[in-house]
Amino acid sequence: MKHLVRSQGFGAIIGVVVMLVVFTLIDFSGWWTIQTIANVSQFTAILAFVAMGQALVIMTKEIDLSVGSVYGLAGVAFITMEPALGVPGSFVLALVVAALVGLLQAIAVVKGELPSMIVTLGGLFTARGIIYVWTGGSVHNFSPAARSHPMTRLFGGELFGIDAAIFWLIAVAAILGLLLWATPFGNGLLATGGSRESAETRGVRTDRIKIAAFILCSLLAGFAGILTLCNQPQTHVTLGENMELEAIAAAVIGGCLLTGGRGSILGAILGALIVVSFRYELIALGAPSSWYITFIGAVLIVAVIFNQKLARFLGHSA
Amino acid sequence: MNFKKTVLLSALLAATALGGAANAQDGEKQYRFVMVSHIGSNDPNMGWLTKSMEEFEKKYPNVKTEYISTNNYSVQEHVRLLEQAISTQPDGIAVPIVSSDAFEAPLRKAIEAGIPVVAFNIPDGRPDGERIPYLTYVGGDEYLTGKKLGEYALEKAEAGEIPKPTRVVCASHDSAHQGLKARCNGMKEAMEKAGAKVDELFIGAEPATARNALQAFLQANPDTNYIFTVAGWSSPWAWGVANDTKLDPDVDDKGVTVLTVDEGPVSIEGVRAGHVLATNSQGFWLQGYAPMEWLYWNKEFGYAPQSNILTGPVIINKDNADKWAELVRGVFGDKAYDEQNTW
Repeated sequence: MKHLVRSQGFGAIIGVVVMLVVFTLIDFSGWWTIQTIANVSQFTAILAFVAMGQALVIMTKEIDLSVGSVYGLAGVAFITMEPALGVPGSFVLALVVAALVGLLQAIAVVKGELPSMIVTLGGLFTARGIIYVWTGGSVHNFSPAARSHPMTRLFGGELFGIDAAIFWLIAVAAILGLLLWATPFGNGLLATGGSRESAETRGVRTDRIKIAAFILCSLLAGFAGILTLCNQPQTHVTLGENMELEAIAAAVIGGCLLTGGRGSILGAILGALIVVSFRYELIALGAPSSWYITFIGAVLIVAVIFNQKLARFLGHSA
Repeated sequence: MNFKKTVLLSALLAATALGGAANAQDGEKQYRFVMVSHIGSNDPNMGWLTKSMEEFEKKYPNVKTEYISTNNYSVQEHVRLLEQAISTQPDGIAVPIVSSDAFEAPLRKAIEAGIPVVAFNIPDGRPDGERIPYLTYVGGDEYLTGKKLGEYALEKAEAGEIPKPTRVVCASHDSAHQGLKARCNGMKEAMEKAGAKVDELFIGAEPATARNALQAFLQANPDTNYIFTVAGWSSPWAWGVANDTKLDPDVDDKGVTVLTVDEGPVSIEGVRAGHVLATNSQGFWLQGYAPMEWLYWNKEFGYAPQSNILTGPVIINKDNADKWAELVRGVFGDKAYDEQNTW
């Protein structure tokens, strides 16, 4: 219990519990249905991939505003190149494209010593522009053969009536969790965000850590784009638009501090769950759907205040 | 005599040449018309406008047309593009009045400076005397688009081909777009007369987010049996969500019925495949060509039409969708048409 309270995602756990209690009280019959849970968990899984990547970057005291566009670019690359490369080939290419975007941005931030907010804002526009130019305004269709390809089904199908994306999320989150909490890389990542100078004096290669974080972030966003399209290949050039904001919100609600050095994979997933659940429930309750963004803004501010107070409290009590 | 003839002939040739040159100078009066559009290259409908403007330039070689738009659309960005275009002092402007408040000041300034303006695609919805004093409006009627599609669906419901509407959701990707709101309002008028409830749902333009929002709505409102998507490209998402939730969205006498807009490949193929009951054409080709022609006639002859020029809506249904597909293939090309069919 003490470990749970001290965990970085504790604020998000409290947030999810409070949210579930409130939703149960005001809409028990609407919220606790198989359809609702299936809907919310599926979209949570997609957003959680992007939020986990964002969390890794935020932990290093940087930010990646390009994830929505990278999600879209990888998805578009996957669908557009499928006729030429087949499903496995286009899958690999899409991930390479995503990783390349992450690498280029990381080099500009680390080697060019440019603010990540500016570099990735440029990445956001550039990647989106490439989507527009590449597609000419409409994303191609995904052929019936490609839709039924075993690899497409592996990423976009269902197992026991549960979307594949959820199983992939569990697997990837477990690997990232291990990476973060049980490897030198994880220690280095948190140390880089906590105090770069201090980390460097302890021999942490902070440049490499940041580059790896940016690449992982883009890869996760790209993978989420591919998962989405394997499940629902009917898409548009707006794929991933504004997703960066939801991903940042999810990571911050999940306990990441923009000051770096603090955050969790579980927190990012729970943050994504809160973001998606709010959208779902507000619509289900009949509120105008455009209110959703207002509520997310309010939740974000409350979460930041709560997480900061929690971090200070735990810091003092350590 | 021969000399006299030669002199006369030379004089005649010179006069003809000079006259011709004078006529050529008149004929070569150059114009530059700018279309400041809300339809960016991320929207396949841009092709209708740019291709029809190319045709216009072929007919009027002394007119240069320019198409300006942005893919990262916002009203503020559109106003910025409009102000930039006005500052280049074109001979005429065609612009959709996406927001009458936001466009009023720059357009009135342009008109006062002698630049004729034609509204296309979206008119200023305010009454005459209050609206921006543009020459005319060329385009569809967004309100009629929703209303006529609704009335068409009611006809089919009366005939027993589709279920009678109980609740209609109008799924919109842009909550600030007056034209999209007008489409929803038109549908609302038609459907409420038949006793159906109509809701407007902002689903956003991002596919996964839109599906999430629509799925939430359908699950919370199980009496919804009509979905009206106010963009053609979102109709497969609506159909997909309804299909995933086992609501039988194909066109038949049970389950959910999907209606959409536009004459793009997705909409037309949705109708042909039996996924979508009907879509509409708002005469996009004419919306590129006719504003340029009216600007030209206004500059050249001072003509000003005394009423709006409606180019739509035209209902596209299973009876005429094959013909529409042929027409659209002619504009988009077979390859692009097939690639854009995402069903």
